[in-house]
Amino acid sequence: MFLQIFQDALFAAIAAIGFAAISRPPRRAYVYCAVIAAIGHALRFVLMNVVTWPLHITTATFLASLVIGILAVFLSPVARTPAETCFFPALLPMIPGMYAYKAFGGLAMCVLSTDREAFDMYFYLFASNGLTCMTVLLGMVTGATVPVFAFKKVSFRATR
Amino acid sequence: MSLTMSEREDCPSASEICDFLSEYSAWLLGCGATCIRLEKNVGRMAAACGKEVEIAIMPRHVHVSVRDTGRSGTVTAIASVRHTSVSFYINTRLSELSWELADGRVDFSQAVRRFREIVDGDRQNRWIVLLLVTLANASFCRLFGGDLAAMAVTGVATMAGFYIRQLMLGYGADIRVVVLLCSFVSSVLGATGILFSLGDTPAVALGTSVLYLVPGIPFLNSFSDMLNRHYICAFSRFSDAIVLTACLSMGLCAGMMLMNVGMF
Repeated sequence: MFLQIFQDALFAAIAAIGFAAISRPPRRAYVYCAVIAAIGHALRFVLMNVVTWPLHITTATFLASLVIGILAVFLSPVARTPAETCFFPALLPMIPGMYAYKAFGGLAMCVLSTDREAFDMYFYLFASNGLTCMTVLLGMVTGATVPVFAFKKVSFRATR
Repeated sequence: MSLTMSEREDCPSASEICDFLSEYSAWLLGCGATCIRLEKNVGRMAAACGKEVEIAIMPRHVHVSVRDTGRSGTVTAIASVRHTSVSFYINTRLSELSWELADGRVDFSQAVRRFREIVDGDRQNRWIVLLLVTLANASFCRLFGGDLAAMAVTGVATMAGFYIRQLMLGYGADIRVVVLLCSFVSSVLGATGILFSLGDTPAVALGTSVLYLVPGIPFLNSFSDMLNRHYICAFSRFSDAIVLTACLSMGLCAGMMLMNVGMF
């Protein structure tokens, strides 16, 4: 189990570095993004798979994002970058991309379906994936943003 | 104790400050900063210059009104939000600049000069980015339970798609067309795992081969703006992200239809 958690953290860190590269952070921010992403993603993995009562993806993502937000706020003055430069790339491996495009796939199939049974099934897939995507995103951003406002003096002075 | 700029001799006029702040805002919004960051940075710089500022942030424009503290007479400038890719480098450096001006470490003319250097100096090695994104998406495949073969297929599909993305954006192509085409190419290459029965998890390779195109930052920014009650900006950024996701899905569906594989 520890190996699985370590693997999750390692691959989340690599994913965070790569996706961060698309949004061009300063070089000094890469290490912080990787560390924060590894801790956050591993925590989500534990909350969804390891604990006695596994949590739903939305709740687990919210709690992991809260930890990511807190870490980002207190590490951003060290990295001398705005908090979102640290936590946005760290959140990217948790973006529910697959839910998003499955929702669109369901919608397309809904429109193309000819009988009611198929329509019902594809509408369910569209609604289920779409709602999961939206709630995960909302939980993610709320979790990561709350610490930024809770510790305003730290987070908005990081680049001073 | 540092003096505010209005107390020093090199005090710029409200009009000069307004022009600078409007361009600053256009760049900061264009590079993917949240509305609250923009308000904080601009407010801080205006206060350092002894001015009061009001900002109206619209989806494609930003209005900045500046007036001398305690006096009447307002100068307003409207700037179009810059069409540039997300850049946390510019975001970070412009935020630093706002503090440098606020703390009196640079004067107004130096700040304007430094602003130019920052927006002109954002360079990246495209080959390193290509390599990092390839590794990132292959790792993403692993996070979704893909085996080594699936990671390799995802890596190749990502490398090809992202290379096309870099090329087309370099030629100034529309981002929606770019996402649609890259998603199509990546999904066709991602489906080869299913076609040739590579490894035990070829479906994971196909599903994750296009994830590098998901507009994560616009999604995050839109919800962040919504929490700060910037609803118009939030809705605009969310719409942008939805349109890009729709383009991604269309390209993916077309690729899957061509390769005769199903999404569900």
